[in-house]
Parts: sequence; structure tokens; C-alpha cells
Amino acid sequence: MKHIQFERSTWNRIRLHVLPTDQFKTFAISVYIGRPLSEDTVTATALTPFVLRRGTQLYPETRMFRERLDDLYGAGFGFDIYKRGDYQIVQLRMDIINDRFVSAGESLLKQGLQFVGETLTRPAKEQGVFRSKYVDAEKVTLQKRIEAVINDKIRYAAERCMEEMCRDEPYRLHALGEIKDLADVTPQSLYARYEQWLRTAPIDLYVVGRTTLAEVEAIVQQAFSLERTEESGYAVTAAKPARAETQTIVDRLDVKQGKLNMGLRTPITYGDDRYPVALMYNGVLGGYPHSKLFTNVREKASLAYYASSRYDGHKGIVSIQSGIQIDHYEKAVAIIREQLAALTQGEISETELSQTKAMIANQLREMQDSAFELISFDFNAILSGKTRTVAELIEAVSAVDAAAIADAAGKVQLDTIYFLRDKKGE
Amino acid sequence: MNAIPYAHLNETLYHEQLPNGLDVYILPKEGFQKTYATFSTKYGSIDNHFQVAGGEAVKVPDGIAHFLEHKMFEEPDGDVFSRFASHGASANAFTSFDRTAYLFSSTEHIATNLITLINFVQNPHFTDENVEKEKGIIGEEIQMYQDNADWRCYFGLIEAMYAAHPVHIDIAGTVESIALITKETLYECYRTFYHPSNMSLFVVGGVDPAAVMQAVRDNQAAKTFRPQGVIERFFPDEPAQVHEALRLTRLPVSLPKCLFGFKERPPAAEGRELLKLELTTKLVLDILFSASSAVYQELYDEQLISDNFGHEYNCNADYAYSMLGGDTPDPERLVASIREKVEALKPGGLEAATFERSRKKKIGGFLRLLNSPESIANEFTKYRFKGIDLFDILAVYESITLDDVNARFREHFDWHQLAVSVVRSPEQA
Repeated sequence: MKHIQFERSTWNRIRLHVLPTDQFKTFAISVYIGRPLSEDTVTATALTPFVLRRGTQLYPETRMFRERLDDLYGAGFGFDIYKRGDYQIVQLRMDIINDRFVSAGESLLKQGLQFVGETLTRPAKEQGVFRSKYVDAEKVTLQKRIEAVINDKIRYAAERCMEEMCRDEPYRLHALGEIKDLADVTPQSLYARYEQWLRTAPIDLYVVGRTTLAEVEAIVQQAFSLERTEESGYAVTAAKPARAETQTIVDRLDVKQGKLNMGLRTPITYGDDRYPVALMYNGVLGGYPHSKLFTNVREKASLAYYASSRYDGHKGIVSIQSGIQIDHYEKAVAIIREQLAALTQGEISETELSQTKAMIANQLREMQDSAFELISFDFNAILSGKTRTVAELIEAVSAVDAAAIADAAGKVQLDTIYFLRDKKGE
Repeated sequence: MNAIPYAHLNETLYHEQLPNGLDVYILPKEGFQKTYATFSTKYGSIDNHFQVAGGEAVKVPDGIAHFLEHKMFEEPDGDVFSRFASHGASANAFTSFDRTAYLFSSTEHIATNLITLINFVQNPHFTDENVEKEKGIIGEEIQMYQDNADWRCYFGLIEAMYAAHPVHIDIAGTVESIALITKETLYECYRTFYHPSNMSLFVVGGVDPAAVMQAVRDNQAAKTFRPQGVIERFFPDEPAQVHEALRLTRLPVSLPKCLFGFKERPPAAEGRELLKLELTTKLVLDILFSASSAVYQELYDEQLISDNFGHEYNCNADYAYSMLGGDTPDPERLVASIREKVEALKPGGLEAATFERSRKKKIGGFLRLLNSPESIANEFTKYRFKGIDLFDILAVYESITLDDVNARFREHFDWHQLAVSVVRSPEQA
């Protein structure tokens, strides 16, 4: 097992996490900025990185901004917006090559961090706020992005299922926000939100590569010009119970294949000592090609090409997804329910146990070969307040037995069945 | 075993061709937990008409290479996924136009998993029953792609370009074509294309090359393969012009999707010459259409493109085409606007500064790719089957001149060779 030790410090209420390593040909940089999901701020927060990537004070025109990235040997730069528990997280990412392979002059890590700092803290402005040209254009882009969810039916069905299941909580909100809010956004209102966000939101900055904490600290102090007024961490998201009676939601669209999704609630979240049990539960149920869902829905019944489950430990939700012929709906639901019942009754073979343990352990070890996956695993600890090393988690998973899984399964409740089907017979 | 050092990349590749013809490549990556291995055959969806020296010419149903890939996972004593899972390996496979690859990644029991990979691919087990059962599963896979607007737009363009060459046939076939597949046709294809001399094994990760090579040698030495003649592949004559100028598909989408591109004459090249053609064309497309280009920014400002606007170039000895586009409110205007901008640039040509910037970006991109064992293995094999060495990429980029790029630019954008594929909602005009 590889020894992974992030070196950490705090500067200006920003947490710095640095992993010095020679393993990669690049430096990986990630900045996480979180804000509780709320109707009030979700759209403005989502729009902010879209506007930030249009230009900075040093590179006010978008082409200059992007040419700068090309000049840094085509540094990979991007952002993601997603939900983790009841938080909306904005992540800025950069992947920039290590100078040892090219003759770059000034340190590429320094130039990369300066670029990220410039993008986040020194946006292009007019009259003290964001350039209206960029705000207007990115409102259109964000709207198109939200509308485009329907183009990918697998994703659309998954999001609709969560929306219906979490109808009465902030988690129903889309990470990209809501189209109805966009009309009212102005450069002034967005800039005010942005300033408040930067001042008060929890910020974590990660660097993985051939460097040291001291080197990163020195660069960050120069490159991130921002005023921070709040020392805020993350509050743990509490798991919610399922609705008393399972609901069934059917949507109709012009599709050939039906998409069957299920949403289930579990009281076990990332910080819970039983988290490794929940990982095993999901692994035996549908995490892998040897799992119950793939074996029974696909291999035995030939009903589907894909049938799997996912466990979101930050929210306490297990979701199931499969693509089936529309007239196989009842059959597929029955087979999936049988698998859920089998887990509750502890019908888990020694082979299923040992294979699932081997697969989870492998996944955790493989993660260590990707700088961004290492970062994302470490960030779980920041979000949940629970620190686990990879070795500890593998150890805990290997100790899980069938009785513990059955016990956890007994507390998993089916909340929502969602079916996306065709328009025939409407 | 030959050691091939790439000192400027800090990598060494090991290679050996075994007596049965199998090419084995090993790339040790220090510090990596994971080992990733691909076992690939030079056999894909386009190989539907062929003859082995001394045998008869055979035509097989569409989608059979992909069907075969699915069926390889079945063994007399159970499912292969389960055997991999017992040793913590995640396994998968994919079929493309010109190759089929089987793969696993794992962090422990590397030797066992590698032997499992080789053995299952070298041990077909097809029965009437298991072939029939697979038709339901693949039928759902086909339906899934039928609902996928991006895939339909992508494939719609290839269908618009090609009338005869099998590159226009969907890799998975159709529900009707796979109905014709039997265990006999599967065995026929298997015997032809899964001979070790048509295959290549690539192992990358934290491994000891000598030990891995020995394990593979021993495994292969214990098996006998009858000698295999040369495989001849037949491709019908493809007209030079595009098959259809416009392909329209109706599916529910938020905005129309539009991909378009230029069909070229078959390059009839391989090795470094083919690589230079590919990289030069990719530079042209990047200079013209990357997110930092003037054309991109103008189109974005006019709201004719979105963030998903992209471009690619595919070439093989007997087909070559470019593809660009994305979501747009107005496909006709998008194509017209690009045509105008491209034509305006032709007289003066592309600039030295943007050429250098683009080349620098490509070199950085290649170095970043070397972080990923998956990308190395897949790209290496893809190029190997075209007689190209992946690690030549840097040198070829360095050899390309601005004149090369401008010549390619003027040659490629031949509007007589244009085809367009559009996906619109049923209710969109």
C-alpha cells in the first residue's frame, strides 16, 4: 500500500492541501468552493464560474484567456458544478505539465496557480462589476446547458427520479440552478453574490505533484488576492427517511427504450461507522458486473444491457438504473425487488462477499494512480468531518459480514420508482 | 525481449514477438498501483468480408464482431466477470471499426488476472442457447443507442458520407442483422481473427517486465495454434463523392445537433506517413476551431455554437474524414458561416504564431496522456494496427511545418466533399 500524506496549512481562511509526489507528469490543481444548496443562491452560484472563465483583469478578452492556457502547453483547465450532500460545490481544475519535460522558463506550477488565482479573484470588470457582455452570453449558455439534460435520456431519468424523490428538500435543486432565475440576474447582482461567496464560502485548494507545501504557500499568497471574513467549514448532511409509501412516477417522451430508475434512502452516510457496510451493500446489489442486478436483470433474464446501483454516501441515497423494453416494466421491477428482498434476508454467498470486497479494495487502490481521484477522496473527509485513509477503509470493508449487510439492508427503504417511457397508448 | 528507451519521456517500452506471432508489449510505470492490460485483435465492424489464404471468401452479418466480443465473456464453467472479481480485477471490452479489445485493470494478482485475460479470449464457448440469449441483451444496447442523440448524429454523418464502405454500418448492427448470427458464424470469425498472429497484448503499470513476459511466453508455449495464412479483407468500391449531402434524424432534443465534415480519398498510407497526415490535419482543425480560435469566439458570440462544439479527424488506410459541430439553433447558418470564415482565411493561410501555439498545446496534451495507463494502452494498440508507433507522435509534431499545415488546410476544405448530419426534435421545423 502506498503511503499518501497530504501536507496541510491554512492561509487567509483557505485550507491548503499539498501532496508532494513524483508519480505524475503533471501538476494537478483543484479548488473547491461550497455553499449550502438553496433556492436563493443556486442559480447565481452556478452562473459564476461560467462568467469567470470568460476573462480576467490580465486577460480581459476570452481569446486572450484561452491563448494563455494554450501557451502553458495546453494546460487542461475547467470547472464542475455538482451537489455533495446538501451543498452545491464549484470545483476549478487545472492539469499542467511538469517543467522537467519541456523548457518552460518560469515554473509552470507557479504560472498555473497564478492563472487559477487570477481567474477566481480578479475577473474582468466594467464599472466595478462583471462585464455585461459576458454575463448576458453566459446566461444563455447556462440556460442551454440546463435544457440539454433531456438530450441524454439516462441522465434525464436519473435526475427526474431524484427531483421527485427529494421534492420537499433543497436536494431537489439542479446543481446548475433554475432557468426561471436567470432573467433577473444582472452584472451588479451577480457580482455582489460572487463577492459574498468568495468572502464567506469554505475554500479548499489542492495541489498534487513534484512540489512542497512551502512552495505552494508562497505562490498562493501572491496569486490569490481576496478578502476572507468567515472561517466556515462544512456541516454534515443528515440522512432523511423515505416516504411512508413508495411513489411511482411515469414520464413520457419520444423514446424507444424505457428507463427504469429507483431511489432508496439509507440512514448511513459517509461519516457513519457503518459506511463500509453500506459500500458492501451497494457492491453486492449492483456496483459491479458480478452483482445481483447485473446477474439477474441482464445475464439471467436478458432484460437489459445495463442494470446497476450507485451509493451516494454524502446524501444517504442508493439509486438503481436500467434500460429496458417498455413492456418489460413489471417483470424488471419484480426482479429488482427480489434482489432487494434477498439482501434484507441476508441471502449473500461467500463468493459474492469475497468478490465484492476484492472489487472495492481494487477500486480504492486504483484511485491512487490518479491525482484528481486522490484529491476527490481526500475532499470527502473535509466534507464529512470523517477522516479515513485508503488502508483503513479497505480494512473496514474486509471485515464486513453478511449479517451486517442484511442489517443495513433492513434500513434501506424504497422511496421512488421512476419510469421514462414512450408516448404510445397515452 | 527488446527494450526500447524513450529517454526524453522517461519511459522504456519492452517488446517481443512470440513464436506463434503474438506481439507482446510491456510498459512499466514506476509508482503506479494499477496494472492495465489490453488483449486486442485487429478485427472490427468493417471486417465483414474476408478470406484466409487457402480458404473461401466469407461474408458475415452486420454487428458480428461486437456480438463476438459479448460472447467471449461466457465460459463453460461460468462467467468471466466473476473470475476477475475474485481477484479484484475490473474487466471490460469494446469493439471499434477496426479492432476489438479485451481489458482488465487491477492492483493485485496481476499474473493471475493476465492469464485469465489471455485464456478467456483464447477459449471460445458458443452454444445455440447462449447465442440466442445474447440477442435480447444486445437488442437493448442497440435501442439505447437509437435513443442517444449524439450517437445518432455522429453515425448519421458517417452514413451520409459512405455508400458502400462498411465503416457506415453501425458497430452493433441492427436487431434484424444480429438475428442472423449463429454459433457457426461466430466460430468462423473467431478462427480467422483471433489467431495470435493477428493480435497484440499490451501491459502497462507497476510491473516487472521480465516476469510478465515469462508468464506470457509460458502460457502461449503450452497452447497449439494451427498456422494461419494471410487474411485478405475485401472492401467494396466506395464512390469519391458523399452518399447524401444531408442526413436528418428526428429525436427529442433541446436544440438541434449538427455535425458536418469532409470525406477524403482513401489515404492508402500507413506508418509514419499516415501519422503525419493525421497530426497535420488535427493541427489544422485545432488552429481553426479550438476554443481559443477567432472563428470559435465569433461563432460563440453569434450564439451559433455552444461549449460542446468540437472537431475530430479519423483516418485509416482506406477511409478518412473530418467531423465538426455540436448543438446549434441553426444548422444551415452554422455551416454557411463556417464556410465563409474558412474561405476568407484560405488566401492568406494560417499564421505562424497560432500554428506554434497549437503545436505546443498538442505536445502538452501528449505528455498528459502519458499519466493514464488506459490511454497509453488504447492509443498504442490503435496506432500499432496501422503500423504507427505512438511514441513517434512528438517527433512527427516537431517535423510538421507551417507550409505542411497550410497545404493540408487548402486541400481538406473541399466543399464538394461536404456532408451534414442534423438531429432535430419532431416538433422543430
